Amino acid sequence: MTPYLIFVLKRFGQFLLVVFLGVTITFFVTHLTPIDPVEESIGAITQMGQSDPNAIELMRQSLRELYGMQGSIWQQYLHFWLRLATGDLGPSLSAFPTPVSTIILRSLPWTIGLMTVSTLITFVLGNAIGALAGYYRKDMVLKAVSLVFIAMLPIPYYILAFVLLIVFGFIWPVLPINGGYEMNANLDLSFALVLDILKHSILPALSLILVGAGSWLIGMRALVSNIITDDYVVFAELGGVPKGKILRSYIARNAMVPQFTGLAMSLGAIFNGTVITEIVFGYPGIGNLLIEAVHAGDYSLVLGLSALSIVGVAAAVFIIDVLSPLIDPRIKVE
Amino acid sequence: MQKWKRFAFGFVLATLGLTGLATAEDYTSLPRKETLIVENPEGTIKNPGWFNIWVNGGGGVSTGLQQLTMDTLWYIDPEQGLGGAAWDNSLAADKPQYNADFTEMTVKLRKGLYWSDGVEFTADDVVYTVKTQMDHPGMVWSAAFSVQVASVEATDPQTVVFKLKKPNSRFHAIFTVRWNGAWIMPKHVFEKVEDPLRYDFANPVSLGAYKLKAYDPQGKWYTWEKRDDWQRTSLARFGEPAPKYVTYTDPGPPDKRTIAQLEHNLDIIHDNTPEGMFTLKEKSKTIETWFPGFPFAHPDPTLPAVIFNTQEAPFDNADVRWALALLIDIKAVDMASYRGAATLSALGVPPTAATMKDYQAPMQDWLKDFEIDTGKSKIKPYDPTVGQQIADILRKQPKFKDQIPTDPEAISGAFGYGWWKPNPKAAGELLEKAGFKKSGGKWLTPDGQPFKIRMTVEGDTRSVFTRAGTLIAQQWASFGIDAKAVPAAKLWQTALQPGDFQVAIAWSVETWGGDPDLSFFLDSWHSQFVAKKGEVQPPRNWQRWSNPELDKIIESIRGISADDPKGMELGKDYLKLVAREMPTIPLMSYNVFTSMDTTYWTGYPTIKDPYTDPVPNWANSRLMMVKLKPAQSQ
Repeated sequence: MTPYLIFVLKRFGQFLLVVFLGVTITFFVTHLTPIDPVEESIGAITQMGQSDPNAIELMRQSLRELYGMQGSIWQQYLHFWLRLATGDLGPSLSAFPTPVSTIILRSLPWTIGLMTVSTLITFVLGNAIGALAGYYRKDMVLKAVSLVFIAMLPIPYYILAFVLLIVFGFIWPVLPINGGYEMNANLDLSFALVLDILKHSILPALSLILVGAGSWLIGMRALVSNIITDDYVVFAELGGVPKGKILRSYIARNAMVPQFTGLAMSLGAIFNGTVITEIVFGYPGIGNLLIEAVHAGDYSLVLGLSALSIVGVAAAVFIIDVLSPLIDPRIKVE
Repeated sequence: MQKWKRFAFGFVLATLGLTGLATAEDYTSLPRKETLIVENPEGTIKNPGWFNIWVNGGGGVSTGLQQLTMDTLWYIDPEQGLGGAAWDNSLAADKPQYNADFTEMTVKLRKGLYWSDGVEFTADDVVYTVKTQMDHPGMVWSAAFSVQVASVEATDPQTVVFKLKKPNSRFHAIFTVRWNGAWIMPKHVFEKVEDPLRYDFANPVSLGAYKLKAYDPQGKWYTWEKRDDWQRTSLARFGEPAPKYVTYTDPGPPDKRTIAQLEHNLDIIHDNTPEGMFTLKEKSKTIETWFPGFPFAHPDPTLPAVIFNTQEAPFDNADVRWALALLIDIKAVDMASYRGAATLSALGVPPTAATMKDYQAPMQDWLKDFEIDTGKSKIKPYDPTVGQQIADILRKQPKFKDQIPTDPEAISGAFGYGWWKPNPKAAGELLEKAGFKKSGGKWLTPDGQPFKIRMTVEGDTRSVFTRAGTLIAQQWASFGIDAKAVPAAKLWQTALQPGDFQVAIAWSVETWGGDPDLSFFLDSWHSQFVAKKGEVQPPRNWQRWSNPELDKIIESIRGISADDPKGMELGKDYLKLVAREMPTIPLMSYNVFTSMDTTYWTGYPTIKDPYTDPVPNWANSRLMMVKLKPAQSQ
């Protein structure tokens, strides 16, 4: 077996271990919460006018059985893994018997859309300004722009979200502050709908971009500052190669290697969603869904969303690790 | 180019999960003059394509599904109803017929009613509904049927006979809509389904006057269309429904609701904040409300109250409970919670229009004479002028002065009759009678410990009552009790059901509203259902209070039919008992700030024409459809 194959197998073993531990911890944490999905359902049913205490007790027993909540927590844990092994996330308990996967798939595209676009914009914006600021160190405009982004870095994204909401929703109400598209929107295929969806994503995306760009900027600026002292850059400058070409072809390309590693990890974390942003802007993604699931004590849905997130992040790290030796010649597997 | 453009659109929509939406017809394209737009208080529906109301599947109920498409045997409107009575024989042709010992109930059904797909409704549908739910534990009414029904059969296409496992003079309540009931299933649809528990009932077949037209796959709105054959439904007895389309939407938080109604894009707001309602009344010329002036809101047939956990000392002592009642300044609580827009109740029934007539007004003399013994003196705690005093306070506010009624009867109807007057001296005497002592300005329990009270409130989710609970705790604290309000998320599930609280603001009284029979909540107050300390309490006796006298009243009610005049006398016996024992301190009705815009529709229910509860998530609100009239020529 080649050293690389051994390395890949080891890393795969670590990947499986991380997923197993993450999902296990999530399983026990969700089952220790004081909210019980059966009692939640009974609460909804009693609101429908039922109050016969004997009937309520019978209903409680039936739902426990139906929701697979009989037996000890260890039996439930084993049952959960057996089901998961077949790719079955089970039925949602707060929307029984609709499969968890169906509910997640309804919300996931919104989060993926929002997060992918905002992550890529953040990445491009932060790295572009970082590269320019690192190369043209004396440029006052770039200095000022960098300062603004760096100053915003410590601001929690949800605080910025509230600020944007107040500014563009109330003081200067030009952008929608709630939902993924206008409630009364005509849902036929049209430019108007696409524009409406994009319009609704501006504020949530902006809250993520403005705060996120700063960290890419700092990283890129530092990388560029190191590279510009390398011999091949100095020779290129002495040789009269145009500055733009030096920055694009000699500096940025080399500096981007570690940045792409970070990008891959960020994209893996998309499955975490951005819970607070989605709540602040009423965005119909998995962040909102997660909060609803927690409130309803819907273990299955919480576990489904958590498993997705854990697998997403762990898989991204695994892929980066196994690809890095193939892409970056400085990394060697022994 | 066109091809490329279409591909680009398709890609973007697919990315955003909207491919399914592309076929949905948006409700704003419908003729506005033919469309009634109503707020659905359930918000955005998590499982929008789920219409199987017989399984608690996370789908919406108040999306119009229960109001416009479902039907069952009887309705009792929380208000006066149409046809001259709150009671309505809906799918049933007559009232339920019981045998002498209430072990058998016979139902005669109407002829000529049809499902929206053209199949005739018959007794087989009713029998199927009961048997299917009994055979499938987990369906919403399965347990209720299983506990009570020995057998059910259709003796002819219009007759159903239920044999019960034990006597029950209120068995029909399960098929009687207050805001919901055991809806009848379409046998011809469900009998073809492999598992009714896992069937979403997409494209629902309707027994009501409307059928599904379109809905938002993201769960924000549902549109229903009047059936061409609406004459073949039970509602047709009252006339033709006016709106051709009815849309239930999630308009967002209160400010968005208010703006949408000011712009005439939302005909009925289910519930607003008091402040939102005041804004609407001030800025809109087309808004109609239940009361034309203060307090505007509709009193729901529930009774918010200070609920004691009577299994916890010292709240197991009636003298302590009464002492705490005498420390409440209800006028301040009313102003803090509802800004004065509440209907008070000193009695243990909500002050709906019907109970005002049946209980509150007739018992005023008894309340005025009612005495309690503090151990040192006898006092008459009732102040019959509190409603009047609140009206006087509000009249002094320039903003509201013209909206406050002056007629004493109207004042009582809007603000309530009276309440208990604050009496700190008597409260102190009652605490001393219970063995408490005051030391250094602080009250100590009989075993010498500081008297601590934790008042559990719901926090943001029910801010009106959180404000009330917080103020009551402050009033107790200013008397020398270590009292604080503490918020609890999911108050019912985390505190009331497990009994993990001392005192809370919630309700344990829910009535039919339009009918004096109190069995709807009272039966579950029998001591046979009180859970042991530490165990889960079944609804609705959250105070976990038991009393032999109460058991006798409940057993007497069980032994007579629901419309027996003796029931009202037994109801008054219950009210006198709980006034003496004070297991909960009744505060006020649950006022729902429903506002109705008259730009496109008129004929909404109001106190002047109280034909139904205006709150549009109640299934009774279907009656509105036949009373509404277009405001503009078509």
